[in-house]
Amino acid sequence: MSLALPRNTTRQSESMLLGDAARVLHRLSGTVIVVFVLVHVAAQAVLRAPALAGWNAAMPWLPVVQNQPWIHAVLYFSIVFHALYGLRLLATELGARIDYRRSLWIIVALAALAAVKELARYVA
Amino acid sequence: MSEQITVVAEVRRHDPSQGGEPHYQRFEVTGVDSMRVLDVIRSIYEQQAGDLAYQFACRVGRCGTCAVKVNGVPVLACQERCKPEMRIEPLTPFPVLRDLVVDRSEVETRYAALKLSPQRSCAHPGAPEPIDPALAEKLCHLDLCLACMVCVSACPAVAERPFDGPAFMLKLRHMALHPADSADRLPQALEAGMLECFNCDLCTQLCPADLSPAQAVRDFRRQMIFGKGKP
Amino acid sequence: MRDSNDFILESADVLIAGSGAAGMRAAIAAHDAGAKVVLLAKGPRRANHTRMSGGRYNAVSGANAQDSVEAFYRDTVDSGMGINDHELARILADEAMQRAYDLESYGLAWDRTEARKYYLSMTGGGTFVRTLGSIDEGIGITEVMLHQLHARSVPIRDFHMLVDVVVGRDGRVAGALALDLSRGVWRYYRCPSVIIATGGTSQLYETSSGPAINTGDGIAIALRAGAELVDIEFMQFIPISFVSPPSARGYTLTEPAHYGMRHFDPQAEAAHLVNNKGERFVLAHDPVRKEGSTRDVLARAIMIEILAGRGTPEGGVLMLPDKAVFEAFLKERPTYVKRLLENYGEAQARLEAPIAVTPSALYTLGGVRIDPWCRSRVPGLYAAGEAAGGVHGANRLGGSSMPDIQVFGRRAGMAAAEEAKARGPVAAADGVSEARARAAALEACMQRSGGMRPVEVKKRVQKLMWDHVGLVRSGPKMEQTLRAFGDIRSQVLPAIKVTGASRILNREWMEYLELENMLDIAEAMVASSLLRKETRGAHYRTDYPELDPHWTANVWVRREGAATKVERHAAARPGAADMQPNEQKATAQ
Ligand SMILES: Cc1cc2nc3c(=O)[nH]c(=O)nc-3n(C[C@H](O)[C@H](O)[C@H](O)COP(=O)(O)OP(=O)(O)OC[C@H]3O[C@@H](n4cnc5c(N)ncnc54)[C@H](O)[C@@H]3O)c2cc1C
Ligand code: SF4
Ligand code: SF4
Ligand code: FES
Repeated sequence: MSLALPRNTTRQSESMLLGDAARVLHRLSGTVIVVFVLVHVAAQAVLRAPALAGWNAAMPWLPVVQNQPWIHAVLYFSIVFHALYGLRLLATELGARIDYRRSLWIIVALAALAAVKELARYVA
Repeated sequence: MSEQITVVAEVRRHDPSQGGEPHYQRFEVTGVDSMRVLDVIRSIYEQQAGDLAYQFACRVGRCGTCAVKVNGVPVLACQERCKPEMRIEPLTPFPVLRDLVVDRSEVETRYAALKLSPQRSCAHPGAPEPIDPALAEKLCHLDLCLACMVCVSACPAVAERPFDGPAFMLKLRHMALHPADSADRLPQALEAGMLECFNCDLCTQLCPADLSPAQAVRDFRRQMIFGKGKP
Repeated sequence: MRDSNDFILESADVLIAGSGAAGMRAAIAAHDAGAKVVLLAKGPRRANHTRMSGGRYNAVSGANAQDSVEAFYRDTVDSGMGINDHELARILADEAMQRAYDLESYGLAWDRTEARKYYLSMTGGGTFVRTLGSIDEGIGITEVMLHQLHARSVPIRDFHMLVDVVVGRDGRVAGALALDLSRGVWRYYRCPSVIIATGGTSQLYETSSGPAINTGDGIAIALRAGAELVDIEFMQFIPISFVSPPSARGYTLTEPAHYGMRHFDPQAEAAHLVNNKGERFVLAHDPVRKEGSTRDVLARAIMIEILAGRGTPEGGVLMLPDKAVFEAFLKERPTYVKRLLENYGEAQARLEAPIAVTPSALYTLGGVRIDPWCRSRVPGLYAAGEAAGGVHGANRLGGSSMPDIQVFGRRAGMAAAEEAKARGPVAAADGVSEARARAAALEACMQRSGGMRPVEVKKRVQKLMWDHVGLVRSGPKMEQTLRAFGDIRSQVLPAIKVTGASRILNREWMEYLELENMLDIAEAMVASSLLRKETRGAHYRTDYPELDPHWTANVWVRREGAATKVERHAAARPGAADMQPNEQKATAQ
């Protein structure tokens, strides 16, 4: 195998800023998860607690949202991405040597796979 | 072999000593397609705007003084290839002296405050100091930092939080690994905001010297958790 | 000056111009000797030549048992073709290793093969493998030194350009005038001693390896202040530099790529150089050493090919590297492999494809004439590093500038501190009015509207120097060049205009100041090249192509009023034993 060369760093401003993308995705996916949990709690609440049944009428959008397959896809993507990326961060800080580019793409791919799988469930 | 191209550069002009608002001036430059951003800037100065303030010295990615932002991304002007359309701005978040030149005195003050020479507990032996060859190689790699501030400019943690910046972490790590240095560098790293780093590796991606300040931060964090100091 | 706010008075014991290794080493030594030091840098402090260098450092470390301080000295004098200042060359050989340990104590990690054994390689010239190096090259050397200055709280003034040294009525240094480019204000430093560590003059040439700041300011300033120059006709050109991209043109490609296995073994062959017909043209110039010849011979051979139209379309020749050294090269000089990759491509970076190369101006062999403690002829004025002359003679060993700037930087700092202590502070009024007058005169170009721009004139000077006072020189062309310089000085210079009115980082204004210095040095170079009617080392004349023993001598340059005087002085005769050629010594061992 040939030895690895140093990097060619003459086109830095053309490449995607992976760190920025990852960080934004991590925050967005976190937000999605939190929002989902809140919505989920609200939905369960109106279903299970008779005292709150009146709220049901105030949230006519809830079932609509719940029935959108893409929302589930986004949710699955977010959960998988957020979890794996967070684990990657932890692992590297504990000493694991992980390539930041490759690992990011792998995590995105895995998260996308989860999303597609979720979509497929609805389509089928 | 080399084709000619014409590029459009919008250069940010501002003289803070004269007040007024910054504005962007448009230039067209024609030259060989292997031109670097610095070639474009120099051509603008030589042919079109004799009053442009810009900085460079070595032109080969060594002095670290030519760093600018091209289309929003911090780069070394002398290494970055020219783009058909580009917006050239001074490096943020540093105070601008004029046009593309920033004032780095605060950066130097930070370097000085970090005491980045080995704090020796005993004098150099006056003969080859025993250093493992592999460690010597590693020390040299860490010492290749240009102090260009590209990483500090790109770092999102610097923008959001009280953090000196990746370049300083790298230099502290260099000292932490140096066998002649008796100081404890971890508290210094903490003081400089090491925990604020997002571990996003943007600094690693953009460093023109192929260094990874993010790895330096990770090494410090691991040292903090597991308590391992010198290797 | 608009008003007195633009002229600020300060003081120091030792003022040092130059933030390269020579200046920084001087600052460390002067500070440690108890002096109040101020260090000026024309640009940001890291913008210096030392930082750009490969950092190869000749010293006798003991790692090669065959080598000796004596052999290093002889190599230096042989390569200098006998006209070195032998005392300076001796000091270089003697003290190089101690200064290398100083660098290690500052935090530099020399490459090593074992914990206590340094890794050695060959550089241009020399008979023994003796050169130290570190992967961080010039960056590492300047960085560890800078942190030493920080540790000592030595004030470093970025963007402060030394403009002139003022000599008092007693003939001693009274102070120095500098322009703070970042604010557009003048500063006059009252000080009993000034150290010139401003580096070389490679910017006098169209294609050069050094940084944009090397315009020979300090050498010209010293000349104007009354110091003498020596060997200024000798300019070292490096044979193998990048041809493209435009920004990097002229930057040294580094020797390991060129040397191949010769990098480790003086007997091995260096990479072949071929012209556009595929001929190994060097064989005609040096059939014995071939491509392993000295820098001067190779640079000239390449230049002649290019001038004869046998170069590549981009103006270079091709080097056929030896890919067997790639692995060692990658480990030892990763930065250069990176530059090859970025400038030329992967095949070239792996040393698998021909590499286009061109000669470029590298190193100013001459400079301010100094004694062993770096004193010039003017009491209180010191010079060290590339700005000083005499150590290397007519040609320099690759890797000998790094020890030079450490050894003589330190000596200059110590001597200047001592002088300051002996003399005490300079009287308050000394030199101030002269400095004010000089500053006012240098503001005139800011008010003019007609005339040429400094950058145009600079390019003209660079082209003249490259064409006629470069690798290939001849009497008539140089006479013509001298006249052209005279015209520039009398007609163009007084009418130069500066485009922008801003005083802050006005590059054209700075270039105008540089231009005066460049012209002073260019004239001194031509005048001494004309006087030296022979060919020796880096100085090659087509009208006098042979070495002439009569010229085992030095040319000294000094100013008398506005006139430049050049004189021949026999070289300091070394002892008879010193004359033995190194070759004999080496084979006799
Ligand atoms: C590509 C390359 C590779 C090299 N490799 C090697 C090598 O491997 N080994 C070796 O021995 N040599 C090498 N050299 C040569 C060596 O780098 C230089 O000779 C040496 O660095 C000169 O050091 P210096 O301290 O004298 O000056 P410099 O490092 O040139 O410093 C000059 C300083 O003076 C300042 N200055 C200039 N004008 C003024 C002014 N008017 N006012 C105030 N300040 C001013 C500048 O800002 C700068 O800080 C190499 C050179 C090049 C170009
Ligand atoms: S990894 Fe840390 S130091 Fe590097 S850019 Fe990201 S936040 Fe900044
Ligand atoms: S770590 Fe890299 S990007 Fe940051 S200052 Fe050093 S060389 Fe520049
Ligand atoms: S000019 Fe020195 S790093 Fe770009």
